[in-house]
Amino acid sequence: MDNLEDLKIVAEQWWKQGIEFVQQIPPPQLYTAIGVLLLATICLLSIRLFRRTKSNTVLLCGLSGSGKTMLFFQLRDGSSHQGAVTSMEPNESTFVLHNENTRKGKVKPVHLVDVPGHSRLRSKLEEYLPRAAAVVFVVDALEFLPNIRAASEYLYDILTDASIVKNKIPVLLCCNKTDKVTAHTKEFIRKQMEKEIEKLRVSRSAISTADIANDFTLGIEGEVFSFSHCQNKVTVAEASGLTGETDQVHEFIREHVKL
Amino acid sequence: MLEQLLIFTRGGLILWTCKEIGNALKGSPIDTLIRSCLLEERSGAVSFNYDAPGAAYTLKWTFHNDLGLVFVAVYQRILHLLYVDDLLSMVKQSFSEIYDPKRMAYDDFDETFRQLRIEAEARAEELRKTKQVGKPVTSVKKQGQVSKPGLEGGNKRVSEGGSKKDDGDGNKAKVSTLTNGHSNGNHQMEDDSQETDLANGKENTSSNVAVDLSKLQKLRSKGVRGRGGVRKTDSIGNKSSKVAAAEPAKKATKKNRVWDDAAPKQSKLDFTDSVDENGNNDHVDIVAADQGESMMDKEEVFSSDSESEDDDEPGSDEKPAEAKKKGWFSSVFQSITGKANLERTDLGPALKALKERLMTKNVAEEIAEKLCESVEASLEGKKLSSFTRISSTVQAAMEDALVRILTPRRSIDILRDVHAAKEQRKPYVVVFVGVNGVGKSTNLAKVAYWLQQHKVSVMMAACDTFRSGAVEQLRTHARRLQIPIFEKGYEKDPAVVAKEAIQEATRNGSDVVLVDTAGRMQDNEPLMRALSKLINLNQPDLVLFVGEALVGNDAVDQLSKFNQKLSDLSTSGNPRLIDGILLTKFDTIDDKVGAALSMVYISGSPVMFVGCGQSYTDLKKLNVKAIVKTLLK
Repeated sequence: MDNLEDLKIVAEQWWKQGIEFVQQIPPPQLYTAIGVLLLATICLLSIRLFRRTKSNTVLLCGLSGSGKTMLFFQLRDGSSHQGAVTSMEPNESTFVLHNENTRKGKVKPVHLVDVPGHSRLRSKLEEYLPRAAAVVFVVDALEFLPNIRAASEYLYDILTDASIVKNKIPVLLCCNKTDKVTAHTKEFIRKQMEKEIEKLRVSRSAISTADIANDFTLGIEGEVFSFSHCQNKVTVAEASGLTGETDQVHEFIREHVKL
Repeated sequence: MLEQLLIFTRGGLILWTCKEIGNALKGSPIDTLIRSCLLEERSGAVSFNYDAPGAAYTLKWTFHNDLGLVFVAVYQRILHLLYVDDLLSMVKQSFSEIYDPKRMAYDDFDETFRQLRIEAEARAEELRKTKQVGKPVTSVKKQGQVSKPGLEGGNKRVSEGGSKKDDGDGNKAKVSTLTNGHSNGNHQMEDDSQETDLANGKENTSSNVAVDLSKLQKLRSKGVRGRGGVRKTDSIGNKSSKVAAAEPAKKATKKNRVWDDAAPKQSKLDFTDSVDENGNNDHVDIVAADQGESMMDKEEVFSSDSESEDDDEPGSDEKPAEAKKKGWFSSVFQSITGKANLERTDLGPALKALKERLMTKNVAEEIAEKLCESVEASLEGKKLSSFTRISSTVQAAMEDALVRILTPRRSIDILRDVHAAKEQRKPYVVVFVGVNGVGKSTNLAKVAYWLQQHKVSVMMAACDTFRSGAVEQLRTHARRLQIPIFEKGYEKDPAVVAKEAIQEATRNGSDVVLVDTAGRMQDNEPLMRALSKLINLNQPDLVLFVGEALVGNDAVDQLSKFNQKLSDLSTSGNPRLIDGILLTKFDTIDDKVGAALSMVYISGSPVMFVGCGQSYTDLKKLNVKAIVKTLLK
């Protein structure tokens, strides 16, 4: 009990001394000191709020069988190992792009996610879309025409997704399996996809007042759809997961995942 | 001889294949296995059969849920290898010792695998030799094997209610002695077999019995999946076809029955209003667009009550059940530290409670059983993460599985399909099939109303030429909605009527033809034949099975028989099966929504519409998340 009272008395003495000291400082200095402190706090907070940490997530999506898992391992390890089967779960990995190991200077690692393409697992895509910095949509250039409807619907769903539209996430339409002789060219694929998306646009916007399936509509009213109408950047490239020709994909990723 | 053994991750990368066996597999059995079995929540099944031109394979698999690996063995179906399960579990054990997530190539495993295979083959040989010694004991069973088909049917009936693990052999004669024979057979087999940790232990016991077992399992799975399970369904089919055969004979003429104390002949009981050709009738009011939006286009608002509260309550109920196994303190301790590997014994009570809960929600018993097996297969061996109870892990896994099943495999955008057909200048033909009294004609009208709202021109075809009043019913709907109807009256061949209706639609440029058929029981052979004739002749774009949400276990039977008959009686190489489901009378069930799950699981086709009332606007889409939440509440 005595200790406590002693402590109390000591604390009160310090408090009195502190107040005397503060009162001794001339007012202008005091105010400037407080002002500077406040300014500093405000600046820090606002920088925190407004500066969105640029995410480094790149999504690999596309229909089942288009070669996403092979491409994933090519980008990561430089070889596709012994092949792949239909994925049941996403493959995720953070790494420095394979041919960037030789580059000097600070290289930012890329977080690559390979989302399964099977339609039953479509809900996994929605988990990753908000965090994406760039999307690579892989299309099978060999078996393109039989699957064109499903591929265009998938691409349409991605291009009209809320987070993609709001944040103007760039999309790369990657034509895979171009090492085979009968694969279609990227120009052909681009034109066909534009045509299919135009058809989708017409049928979905015919019910636009009633149907709320898609958050946004694509393209400009009255004009045939083209990828240049999209607010986010959509480019086309070729690649081959089997032989390792992934330079165009590399460039795309490097361009959009900046430091 | 094993064709191939693969080890791959759940993410899809192949880690190791057996290089000794060089033959490439014909077709793509592994991809088909993943797409039609593992992703369809049938991973609790014993094996999977794959047919490709030039090869017939059987695939067996096992999971290592902790490391996320899948082990698959492929072999020729005619070979009935016995050591496969044994080999798979041994491979699983030894591979998980050398597995490292960073490594991608495992060439050193070749040697280990070769030794394991030799060991497994040797063990199987040993077992077979000891079986030879025990031959005289099994000779009694041999007599029963001659009359196998009937007895297997008998087995099925006996074991319907309970156990899923039957031994497939029979003694002679009655069902009651059959059960005795089972227990005898069991004892002998367990004496002879050594202690091997097998997934399905009884399969490996004797060569004779193993063959029967695998056949029975396949038969049962075939019968349930509705692909040619001839034996099981034949016996049931024979009985009911006799009943059904009487029906068509009656069609000829129907004379008024005269009773003994006959009242004087009454005037014909006919209250239909006299209507002229153009249908100008004052009583019928024209509906047009003023009934408002169809509920298909409205977004469903459902209350999102907190799920955590619901989780706690069932958890507390299950605690006493779990406590008996391990003691309360250790289970709580484990749930906090989360170190334990989940075993089947741990999962057992939680899964049983979940199965009971599903069955109270009107899910068919078979389907609930299969689902629980599949969830068990995917959770066994997994490490419990910290601060989670076993029940919540199981619940999360089940929820995942249910969402996966109910998510459609292909796009169900009908309007898009209609537009595609329009471009090719053909009408889009939809056929409504189902058993009696489920609401085909009512829901046909609702779909017509919805399509009309989206500026699609519709035509109805009255191919229900059997039920009295069916044509008038459709005529009334057509008049109210102002759409053309093609009818030929009663007692005509529905297939021909449908064909003519489609021709008429092509002529006058209708976009969609909705074909109404008569209700029929799935066991009724002649009627099912008539239905498949209609479908073969007209090749519709969409075969919609109309099922009511009130149905219980019968949904499984209905859908599997319909699919089976459609595929058996199809004339072309590509049989047209059921493409979609229309679930009706959804407003009559409060939260017993299990019929949707049973139907989707057994047929694999998505639910395209849900009928929830008797007016034109009562048609909506299936809300997967709401259904899953209701099922697990």
